[in-house]
Amino acid sequence: MANDVWALAEIANGKLTTVSLQVASKAAELAGQLGVSSAAVALGTNTAAAATELGAVGVKTVYAADGAVYDDYLVQPHVETLAALVEQHQPAVIFFAVSNYGRDVAARLAARFGLGLEYNVSDATIEGGALTVTVPAFDGAQLVKAVFVGGGTKLVGARPNAFEVNRVGGTAEVVSVAAASAPANGAKLSAPIGAADAGAAGHLAKAADGHEYWQPSASQPKLEEAQIIVSGGRGLGGPAAFAQVEDLANALGASLGASRPAVDDGWIPYAYQVGQTGKTVKPAVYIAVGISGAVQHKSGMSSSKLIIAINKDKDAPIFGFCDLGVVGDLNVVVPQLTAKVKQRKGS
Amino acid sequence: MNIVVCMKETPSITSVKGFTTDMRLERRKEDAEINPFDEYAIEEGLRQQEKHGGQVTALCMGPATATENIRKALAMGADRGALVTDPALEGSDAIGTARVLAAALKKLGFDLVIFGSAAADSYGGVVPAAVAEFLGQPLLSYASKLEIADGSVKIERAAESGYQVAEATLPALVSVIQTINTPRYPTMKGIMGSKRKPIDTFSLADLGIDAGQVGVAGAREKATSASPVDTERKGEIYMGNDGAADRIVAYLVEQKVL
Ligand SMILES: Cc1cc2nc3c(=O)[nH]c(=O)nc-3n(C[C@H](O)[C@H](O)[C@H](O)COP(=O)(O)OP(=O)(O)OC[C@H]3O[C@@H](n4cnc5c(N)ncnc54)[C@H](O)[C@@H]3O)c2cc1C
Ligand SMILES: Nc1ncnc2c1ncn2[C@@H]1O[C@H](COP(=O)(O)O)[C@@H](O)[C@H]1O
Repeated sequence: MANDVWALAEIANGKLTTVSLQVASKAAELAGQLGVSSAAVALGTNTAAAATELGAVGVKTVYAADGAVYDDYLVQPHVETLAALVEQHQPAVIFFAVSNYGRDVAARLAARFGLGLEYNVSDATIEGGALTVTVPAFDGAQLVKAVFVGGGTKLVGARPNAFEVNRVGGTAEVVSVAAASAPANGAKLSAPIGAADAGAAGHLAKAADGHEYWQPSASQPKLEEAQIIVSGGRGLGGPAAFAQVEDLANALGASLGASRPAVDDGWIPYAYQVGQTGKTVKPAVYIAVGISGAVQHKSGMSSSKLIIAINKDKDAPIFGFCDLGVVGDLNVVVPQLTAKVKQRKGS
Repeated sequence: MNIVVCMKETPSITSVKGFTTDMRLERRKEDAEINPFDEYAIEEGLRQQEKHGGQVTALCMGPATATENIRKALAMGADRGALVTDPALEGSDAIGTARVLAAALKKLGFDLVIFGSAAADSYGGVVPAAVAEFLGQPLLSYASKLEIADGSVKIERAAESGYQVAEATLPALVSVIQTINTPRYPTMKGIMGSKRKPIDTFSLADLGIDAGQVGVAGAREKATSASPVDTERKGEIYMGNDGAADRIVAYLVEQKVL
C-alpha cells in the first residue's frame, strides 16, 4: 500500500545482518505511530529465514526475492527489484543501514527517482506531522535536525546501532517477487577470498606484500554487534602487541577493534577500524588501549555505555570522555588485567 | 586510458566548523582543501596511468576558487583539471552533486572514473553510486586494490573476514578506501609544471542542466536546527600501573559486567 514505512534488509553470506533488524524495528515502530503498515525488502539467499526474523520485530509484510544473482553482483540487481517495488507500492519512507551495501543501493534509488536521501542518521521521529531525522555533524560535536522537502519516498540511512532491535513478536506475510536478471554491464562479485577459518585463533599473518599483520580470530562477535569491545591504537607499537589485546578481549568475551593508524600501518585489517571512517559502535563497554581519543575516533564510539581508557599520557584527550581512565603502561596493565579477568571468571 | 578522478573541496579537518544562517556547513575559502579521501583517488589514478598510459583529469564541482585545489592535483601529476562552477550550485545535495558530476563525465568522456570513499564534510559516501546510476554504469565500490587488464577492472574490497573480488568491463566507476595506497606529495617540479596545465571550467548551461534540479532549489532535504552535544565524561582517573588492573576489575564488577 502507498504511504507505508519500509526497511531495506541486507543479507550477507546468507544471513540477515543485525543492522537490518535495527532499521526494521524502527520501521515497524514508526508505521504503528503513523497508523500505516510496515514492510521490509529482503533479497538474496535464505530470504525465508530473514522473513521470520523480520516478522518477529513487527514488520507486517516482507517482499522477498531469492536468487543467486543477488550474491553474484554488487547492488545493481537489488536496485532493479527494489525500484520496481517502490514504483508499485509508493512507500512513504524506506529505512536502510549505512553499510557499504545500504549506501550503494539507496544512492542509486535516490538518483533514479530523484528522492530525498538522509544518511548517518542517529534518530528519526515524527515532529509536527513531519518525519524529522537527527544527524550528527562536525565529528559528533553537533546534532542537526533535518526534514525532507517535496514528495516521493523518503530514504533514511541509519548509523549502525542508532535503533534497537525490538522483538515485539509477530509473523510477516511473505510476498515473493521475481528475482532480477543479471545486469548487462554489471559489477560481478566473488565470495570472500582468504577468509579466516572460523576456528582459527588470532595470529600474526603475512600480507601479499610481505608485511606482518594481526589476523584476529574469526569467531569473535561482529564489531557492530559486540557488547564489549577492546580496541588497540598506535600505542601498541606494532601488530604483535594485538596478541595482548586479543587475549584480553577473549577473556572478556569481547570483540577486537582498532584506531585508524593501526589500520593504516597495516597492523590489522580495515574491517576492525572504529571511528568516523570505520565502524560506528555502541557497546556496553568500550576499552581503549593506547588510543589518544581523536575526534574522528571518538565519533565512532562515544555513545558506548561505559568507556575505559588505558593510556600512559595523562593529557590524552580520551581522559576527557571516559568513565574510568588508567594512566599507565599498556604493556604492564593489559596482561595483568587479562590474568585477573580470567581468574575472576574461573572462580 | 582516459581516467577521471572526482575530487571535492572540503573544509580542512582541523578548521573550526560552523553553520550558515540557512543551516548549511560554512565553507571558508582559506580552510578549503582537497577532501583527504580523494587524495587516495588521485594517487590511484596516477598509478594506473603509470601502468597503462593515457591521461588523468581531476574533476571538481565547487566554487570558482576551487581551481587552487585542482592545481594541487595537477601538481601531484594529473594532466588537466575540470571545474564545474555556477552560483546556482550552492547548497546542492548529494543527488544534485551526482547529477552534475555525471553530466560533466559524459562531456569529458572516460574509461575509468575514480572516487574517494566519502567526503570528509559529511561522510556520505553516496555520490559515487548515484553518479553510476545516472550514467548507467557499474560501480566497484570501496576498493582496497585495483587492477586493470584486458578491458576490465578488478578490485579487492574488504569483507567481514578476508576480501571479495569485484570485476566489471570498462568503462566503469570505482571508489577507493584509505588502505589502497599512500598519496604522494607534489614535488617542486610538479608544482612548477602545474601552472601550465589546463583547467576547463563548465557552467550549468554548458552541461545542459536545469538550475531547478540542483543547488538549494533541487535539494530534497533541509536542516532545521542544530544543537551542540556534550560528549564529555567526568570519569574516575586512576594514576599508575600499580593496582590499575585490580581497579578495572573492581569497576567492571561494580558495573555488573563481570
Ligand atoms: C578524515 C579523517 C578521518 C579519520 N577517521 C578515523 C577513524 O575512523 N578512526 C580513527 O581511529 N581515527 C581516524 N582518523 C585519525 C585520527 O585523527 C587520529 O589520528 C587517530 O584516531 C589516532 O589514533 P591513535 O589514538 O591510535 O594514535 P595516537 O593519537 O598516536 O595515540 C596513541 C596513544 O597511545 C599512547 N601510548 C603510547 N604508548 C603507550 C603505552 N606503552 N601504554 C599506554 N599508552 C601508550 C599515547 O600516549 C597516545 O595517546 C581520521 C583522520 C582524518 C583526518
Ligand atoms: N563536489 C564534488 N566534486 C567532485 N567530486 C565529488 C564532489 N562531491 C563528492 N565527490 C566525489 O564523491 C566521493 C564521495 O562523496 P560523498 O558521497 O559526498 O561523501 C568523494 O570522495 C568524491 O570523489
